[in-house]
Amino acid sequence: MTHRTITVARDVQFFAKQTAAEVREQFARRGTLVVNLLSSPGSGKTSLLQATARHWQGRHSMVVLVGDIATDRDAQRLTPLVPAVQLTTGGACHLDLALVQRGWDALAEENVEFLFVENVGNLVCPASHDLGEHLRVIVLSVPEGDDKPAKYPKAFRTSQALVINKTDLLPYVPFSVAHATEDAQQIQPQLEVFSVAALHGTGIESWCSFLEQQRQKLLAVQQASQNQQ
Amino acid sequence: MHEFSLVRSLLEQVERIVTEQGGRAAVEVRVEIGPLSGVEPLLVKEAFSQLSVDATLIIDEVPLMARCHSCAREFELKDFRFACPHCNSRETSIVRGDTFRLMSVTVDISDVVAAARTSDELLETVSPS
Repeated sequence: MTHRTITVARDVQFFAKQTAAEVREQFARRGTLVVNLLSSPGSGKTSLLQATARHWQGRHSMVVLVGDIATDRDAQRLTPLVPAVQLTTGGACHLDLALVQRGWDALAEENVEFLFVENVGNLVCPASHDLGEHLRVIVLSVPEGDDKPAKYPKAFRTSQALVINKTDLLPYVPFSVAHATEDAQQIQPQLEVFSVAALHGTGIESWCSFLEQQRQKLLAVQQASQNQQ
Repeated sequence: MHEFSLVRSLLEQVERIVTEQGGRAAVEVRVEIGPLSGVEPLLVKEAFSQLSVDATLIIDEVPLMARCHSCAREFELKDFRFACPHCNSRETSIVRGDTFRLMSVTVDISDVVAAARTSDELLETVSPS
């Protein structure tokens, strides 16, 4: 038998990452900021999006692609407020780009300012999958414990913002916002941290202005590159 | 547990290389897995043995290495403490160990060699001496 060894040295997800980069670029050209929300199950991603939609009502356009293993319950909670499509993975632990694109096509919305992708509740697998987002955000609710950043370093390292949710429960559970923030920024120094109680709308304003700023930055970069051409 | 879907992507790349080489099959696949790659070597091995017919998988487990932006020194990241152990700066970049990479593929090219030999022989017979 004759053998030949080919040196590759390429990421296993090389082609998926390339596609994700193209998708990111397409959304930037449309002026749509794509936000990928990661968290454990039950941290309040859907409640955060409901509160965001209520805060923006009429002022900014947003749509949601919501991933779950089963049921369309989250989409049902969101559709009275904003266009939303449920993506069911049928058991898979994370969303992939193909599912997200199918969901986006199904929405058939134009002039969208913010596209939120609510990932499957899981802090492990979604951290390894680029969905073409501009911003990756972790939602951590206080009953989960302030040790989550240290336990799930990859998810925190690859994110740009952390939303600490259910802060109205702080008097009842052992959770230190300072400790969680310190651990999270140890892993990712640039991480922006927001404290909110989504059910009551507390802290939503600064979270929303952060998103608006991020979109303005995206538009500015886009404008600059157009001027160069 | 997403190792199966990642090993599927790995095997697609391997297949592509086998085809490019005109080979029969891959006999050895070498990968590199770091602590922050998001995959578990044991589960990768398990998925590979179920999805690949006959290639041998070799896994190189590499440490997580980072470079400090302040003092420019490289260091091994332990316990996912990302601050520089020399100057305590938090501004560091990972240089190795955060990926699951395909390093090399060894392809069985017996058919290609045999075909080349035949065409050489043909050439010899037709070329004027």
